[in-house]
Amino acid sequence: MSDAGLAPGAAALGEVAAGAARDAPNGRRRLGRTGREAAVGYLFVLPAMAIFAVFVFYPLLRTFWLGFFRVAPYPTIPSKFVGLSQYKSVLTSHDFWASLGRTVEFVILTVPIGILLGVGLATLADARIRGIRFFRTLYSSTVATSVAVASVIFFTLLNPTVGLFSYWLGIEGGNGILQSNTWALPAVATVTVWQNIGFTFILMSAALQAIPQDLLEAARIDGAGGRRRFWRVTLPLLSPTVFFAGVVGIIASFQAFGQIDLLTQGGPDNHTMVLIYYLYTSFQNNDFGTASVLATALFFILLAVTLVQFRFIERRVFYG
Amino acid sequence: MDARDSRIGLGELAVAEPSRLAFEGVTKRFGDVVAVDDLTLEVEPGESLVLLGPSGCGKSTALRIMAGLETPTAGVVRIGDRVVNDVDPKDRDVAMVFQSYALYPHLNVRRNIEFPLRSRHVPADERDRLVATTAQSLGLETLLDRKPAQLSGGQRQRVALARAIVRHPRAFLMDEPLSNLDARLRTEMRAELAELHLRLGVTVLYVTHDQVEAMTMGQRIAILRDGALQQVDAPRTVHDRPANAFVAGFIGSPPMNILAGRVDTTDGTAEVVVDGGSIPLGPAAAAALRQRGLPDVTVGVRPEHLRADPAGTLKVTVALAEYLGHEQHLGCRLPGGGLLTVRLPGTRSALGPGDAVTLAVEGDPHLFDPVDGNRIDV
Ligand SMILES: Nc1ncnc2c1ncn2[C@@H]1O[C@H](COP(=O)(O)OP(=O)(O)OP(=O)(O)O)[C@@H](O)[C@H]1O
Ligand SMILES: [Mg+2]
Repeated sequence: MSDAGLAPGAAALGEVAAGAARDAPNGRRRLGRTGREAAVGYLFVLPAMAIFAVFVFYPLLRTFWLGFFRVAPYPTIPSKFVGLSQYKSVLTSHDFWASLGRTVEFVILTVPIGILLGVGLATLADARIRGIRFFRTLYSSTVATSVAVASVIFFTLLNPTVGLFSYWLGIEGGNGILQSNTWALPAVATVTVWQNIGFTFILMSAALQAIPQDLLEAARIDGAGGRRRFWRVTLPLLSPTVFFAGVVGIIASFQAFGQIDLLTQGGPDNHTMVLIYYLYTSFQNNDFGTASVLATALFFILLAVTLVQFRFIERRVFYG
Repeated sequence: MDARDSRIGLGELAVAEPSRLAFEGVTKRFGDVVAVDDLTLEVEPGESLVLLGPSGCGKSTALRIMAGLETPTAGVVRIGDRVVNDVDPKDRDVAMVFQSYALYPHLNVRRNIEFPLRSRHVPADERDRLVATTAQSLGLETLLDRKPAQLSGGQRQRVALARAIVRHPRAFLMDEPLSNLDARLRTEMRAELAELHLRLGVTVLYVTHDQVEAMTMGQRIAILRDGALQQVDAPRTVHDRPANAFVAGFIGSPPMNILAGRVDTTDGTAEVVVDGGSIPLGPAAAAALRQRGLPDVTVGVRPEHLRADPAGTLKVTVALAEYLGHEQHLGCRLPGGGLLTVRLPGTRSALGPGDAVTLAVEGDPHLFDPVDGNRIDV
């Protein structure tokens, strides 16, 4: 989704994919396999495990460990072991909770709208009418752009003097949207939604195509109008994909970095200072201790969010 | 008694008014493919009519046109007295059973059966009563809380039927509803469907490519070929008096033997000279052929009308023998290479591959025009 590293979410992502393709009888049978087969199985997993170990597990543990050290403001002074006190001070600080609040706001502004637009556009583009291919291409085109490109485009559009948005909104020459305490975060969220829409659209389109046509035909004959068909047949069958998009979207929004760095750098007045950007800022200030605590916190928050989603929302999802 | 009153209790499962279904000059093209070609066909109210034909002949397309899932390129479609060309499927008040059953996988059996009632805002208490009655009549009471994935093929089939019956439609459209079942279950469901039709007295348009199903399910059979109607008649008529060589070859199991022949009336008695010998004709058949003045003719002989007889007129060699228990099928090679199927009733005959046999034809063969394939009436 976003170009920000997916590392902490990668494990969770794999879990989602596995969940979607789950096959209970197979899983049970595997327990009965002989040791030799198990050994061969582990051998196949080994390369992936090695890569995960080097690039995910080790950094994760290392980060956790670094949280125990307070780094002095000058590089020449060695860092000092402070135990859990740094965890305590950072996690109870106002800055941490403010950035977490911004992050939640950002998630709320991006994920539901993104999914809504994705489902909506995919449903529209599913219509069998002339020239629909053009729109399908158009809607999916944002996958071909990077966060950087999207940010630059919107940076220009949002520019207080030459930007079209300012002109449309009648505030050209003013302070600018990205400089507005109220509108900076929604603006960054808009860029994010725009950039992700192609991916969500393709995801939802594929899921729509997978719905057997005769179910919808049966519903038509059973007297269901367009709206009832959508709510009672299409949407329930789409729910695993919506759930998947939700999980992936939340993780991606927690890790959205590029657009914030390019558009607002956390400003104005910390109004776009989301958790990951706060982490980055601490890192920039050579405050590796704080950064490590924040990274650890981010990891556990995403883990918790994912687990909660699987525990509670997944029950309402229908897997064929 | 208004229509609503009739929707109570098992005895009243019958619809108030079964409707007539009619295709009037209906054509459907998909690009260059003519799926249905100028079809004119009526299903009488309460009748069970089977659309029969080989794969790709346009049966499903015709059915889907009646359901409103396809729009005809030309022609008029009627349900009752109403022209429904521009009526949405949801307003046609017909039920359809799909080959795939098309059960909603996320809903349990009860919700599946209820679906058409909920779509039509039937009040809850009436809905419950209808579902209970329908489920009972199809033996689904104990399965109401299961999801379709937890049902066997036959049970799914029953749920699909229940979903169609529960709302008392004007007509049932069925597209090969039994083709996903194993042979035994198919026979069982075939009988159940026939019984259900008798009990409900509804109009049924039934699509199949299985002629045994057609013979047993249909009060009349309509045979399609390449989208064009070949014959509509009662099963017995279709079997005994096929309208053309195509119908003749399609109906019957094993299918009728179709041979090209030359008419020979030189020495008083008339016969058709075919590969391997000749087939004698009765006086009426001879007269009919003479009247037409055809030098050539296509003859059709049902496998059951051939028997091994030293005094016979066809000399063949047995190529394969299939023993079915109650009868035996012999595939006999003609000198020219063609294959002739012979159906021998009763216990196993001593004939086996390689044996030379002389066959006699019982009665008159079916005669068809060699050019257009149409039946030559005797
Ligand atoms: N949506 C479509 N687009 C293009 N061609 C189609 C379409 N639907 C059907 N056809 C063509 O129309 C012809 C009739 O198809 P139809 O499905 O009615 O056959 P059928 O008699 O039901 O065959 P089967 O016994 O295999 O189900 C076929 O040649 C088929 O390829
Ligand atoms: Mg078909």
